[in-house]
Amino acid sequence: MPVPLLEMKNITKRFPGVLANDHVNFNLFAGEVHALVGENGAGKTTLMKILYGLYSPDEGEIYVKGKRSVIKKPREAIHYGIGMVHQHFMLVPPFSVLENIVIGEETHRAGILDMDAPAERVKKIMEDNSLFVDLSAKVEDIPVGLQQRVEILKILYRGAEILVFDEPTAVLTPQEVKELFKTFREMKKQGKGIIFISHKLDEVLEIADRITVIRRGKIIKTLNIEEATKPLIAELMVGKPVLLEVERPTVKMGDVVLEVRDLVMKSPRGYDVLSGVSFEVRAGEIYGIAGVEGNGQTELIEAIAGEVKLESGDILLNGESILGWDVRRRREAGISHIPEDRHRYGLLLPYTLAENLTLGMHYKEPFVNRFQVINRKKIREFARAVIRKYDIRTPSELTPAHALSGGNQQKVIVARELSAEPRLLLAAQPTRGVDIGATEFIHNQLMVAKKEGRAVLLVSADLDEIMSLSDRIGVMFKGRIIKEFTREKAVKEEIGFYMMGEKE
Amino acid sequence: MSAVKVKFDKYRFLELLSPVLGFLASIVVLMIIVVAVGESPVKALVAIYKFSLSSSAKIATIFSMSIPLFFAGIAVAFAFQAGVFNIGVEGQYFFGGLVGALAGIYFHLPPLIHIPVVVLFSMLGGALWALIPAILKVTKNVHEVISTIMFNSIALALVNYLVNDPLSGLGKGKSLEPQTAKIQSTALFHKINHVFSYIGWKIPDYVYLDYSLIVAIIMGFIVWFVLFRMRYGFEIRAVGTSLDVAGYAGMKVKNLQLAAFLISGALGGLIGLQEIFAIRGYYTYGIASGLGFDGIAIALIGKNSPLGVVFASILFAFLKQAGYGLQFYTAVPNSAIYVIKGLMILFIVVINEITAKYIRALRKKEAF
Repeated sequence: MPVPLLEMKNITKRFPGVLANDHVNFNLFAGEVHALVGENGAGKTTLMKILYGLYSPDEGEIYVKGKRSVIKKPREAIHYGIGMVHQHFMLVPPFSVLENIVIGEETHRAGILDMDAPAERVKKIMEDNSLFVDLSAKVEDIPVGLQQRVEILKILYRGAEILVFDEPTAVLTPQEVKELFKTFREMKKQGKGIIFISHKLDEVLEIADRITVIRRGKIIKTLNIEEATKPLIAELMVGKPVLLEVERPTVKMGDVVLEVRDLVMKSPRGYDVLSGVSFEVRAGEIYGIAGVEGNGQTELIEAIAGEVKLESGDILLNGESILGWDVRRRREAGISHIPEDRHRYGLLLPYTLAENLTLGMHYKEPFVNRFQVINRKKIREFARAVIRKYDIRTPSELTPAHALSGGNQQKVIVARELSAEPRLLLAAQPTRGVDIGATEFIHNQLMVAKKEGRAVLLVSADLDEIMSLSDRIGVMFKGRIIKEFTREKAVKEEIGFYMMGEKE
Repeated sequence: MSAVKVKFDKYRFLELLSPVLGFLASIVVLMIIVVAVGESPVKALVAIYKFSLSSSAKIATIFSMSIPLFFAGIAVAFAFQAGVFNIGVEGQYFFGGLVGALAGIYFHLPPLIHIPVVVLFSMLGGALWALIPAILKVTKNVHEVISTIMFNSIALALVNYLVNDPLSGLGKGKSLEPQTAKIQSTALFHKINHVFSYIGWKIPDYVYLDYSLIVAIIMGFIVWFVLFRMRYGFEIRAVGTSLDVAGYAGMKVKNLQLAAFLISGALGGLIGLQEIFAIRGYYTYGIASGLGFDGIAIALIGKNSPLGVVFASILFAFLKQAGYGLQFYTAVPNSAIYVIKGLMILFIVVINEITAKYIRALRKKEAF
């Protein structure tokens, strides 16, 4: 057996009260893609931060090409040939692609910046890995998929042989994912080793050679690709069998609940964020909006919830225009909203779960009496019942919201918005950054809402999620819905083309 | 379950301990500065003790001084709770005090009614002075820090003009300290020192524990109840915690900020009660100034909670007295005393914040 490119032995990392990594053994051979999967908080990120020199382990050793290596800083990790493509890109938007690649490693002649020699080197790297980007383009002008290539070129330029990808596909369209995997295969041929962190099991099965599952800081199992199946990985991750396919109830569609007509909205800088959006959602229907982020989905949801002002167009709820209504009136009329950014909009983080679970209904009886005095007993009773019903994992209803895990925080929001018994549920990125268990739960809740005859407007960057839940799918591009699909007619690749605006 | 409870109590205890820690650190700072200016630290501590704590009358004086400071602190704190930075409490109490005083001078009412009336008019005046900055903030996004600072200057100039000319009680230019006419005896605040003798606390007559103490207790309770037990208080605190979340949940953010701003001004209007209605018996441009700014530090130390503000205002009164003690008994120069007071406040606030953050981090890690 060859010497592994990378070997992490017995890595242990403790944080006060948590064992983030418990004697973890992990290795990577040249020319393979090794997927690291696990739920949020399982210890993937900690392990990678240790590898990248951001944390130092309490126990354990790291060997690069068989040699013991002590990595204390990212700079030393780079020196050992370890490179990382972060989930959030570390790029300077107004700089050119080339400038972004060489930044921090600039070459100069007598103090004068030399960009020609680096340009040649970068071109060679692009050839070798079939990874092409226009070097003179500004990063802010190129799409996300290309920005990610810039990140990859950046670490290859620094001589990386071990490449860590932290959820690289989360922001990509299906076509871009294909391109990325093509690059992976090229890099494998070059003898590089790739660590691939992902939530998406289909992608892991497509590209990985080996799959390591981590749960609660421990390595549960390392599988060869031949023995791996989707249900098996999911079960290893969660610790119990998981239903991967959502059970879809058959529901007879009712009347139109939400009708959106020609919505136009301008950004503060004056360009169109929404440029004539029209669609309708019926009772018992889930309408999914697919699209690359930043094509107006966020603004559309906020406009329907009443949080932003529109230029023109109309929004009708059960046939009545709600354009002039404020957020409270719209909520009272039956609109609930799972916000995209749960920390910024969804929760009063320092406040108790009881307060958060009644937020938005806090002013109604029985939570206040007729003198507007808060009835804390009723709030707590209500919260306890909701916590039980929705299986929110918390020490008590008086625990502050910030003390909960991301998945449980999201459950709090979903529970609250559904217990208002809405006619229309706006669900924006309802499972973003949420673990498999909570995702399964949230998907089931959306199905329950459908079954109960509620209209659901779902926005997600995860095309698989949109496809598995929606009855109809609208593809949003540059502030408009450019194509609608029925569930039966939806093809992933075709939707992907529309998402890029290519089939317009 | 019981284990969880014990841990929670531990953090609670640490949280309560943190201001004490900050106070002790600030004492160390005090000693260092005293040494630096060439005075004996022991002598300084003795001076502080002798001047501010050595008799029950001296302790009562601290309580008396803390009454206006409490109003100042709670006024600022109420606005803070809604995320409004009301720097204008200074101007609001100068104006509110004048309005209250006018009600005391020109209304003829029995004492039982007259006293609540002057309290209400003081609040009304304070709120009135906050009205324009508040409206500018919620309608035009004019930042309240800028507008209220300017309104402080306007208030000072306005009351100066008013007591000098149209409202002068002595006639134009008749006195070095221009003042209004005398307040009706029915509106004067009497001392309640004798009440404390029932619990065995003899307070000499020169210490002012007057009706304003009762007003402070009532207002403190009402503020606590509104903020922490009523729906609008919850909404105000939600707005102060996150504008985005409050808006998302359908709260009328602008109205709540406007209301909190006006209530803050109204509470600020009460700062002058003791000096105007108990000590002087008339209004003058020369009433103690700077209390509005003290209120900012007090709210900060008291973490915007009514009970916290009680302790912080007492602490502040003590620091003031300690400053006088140093002036009186030691060679520490006046200017150094300002430095000491400033640094002590800084240390209390900073250490308090650091420990609070640390405790939060500990608690979070444990919850995982």
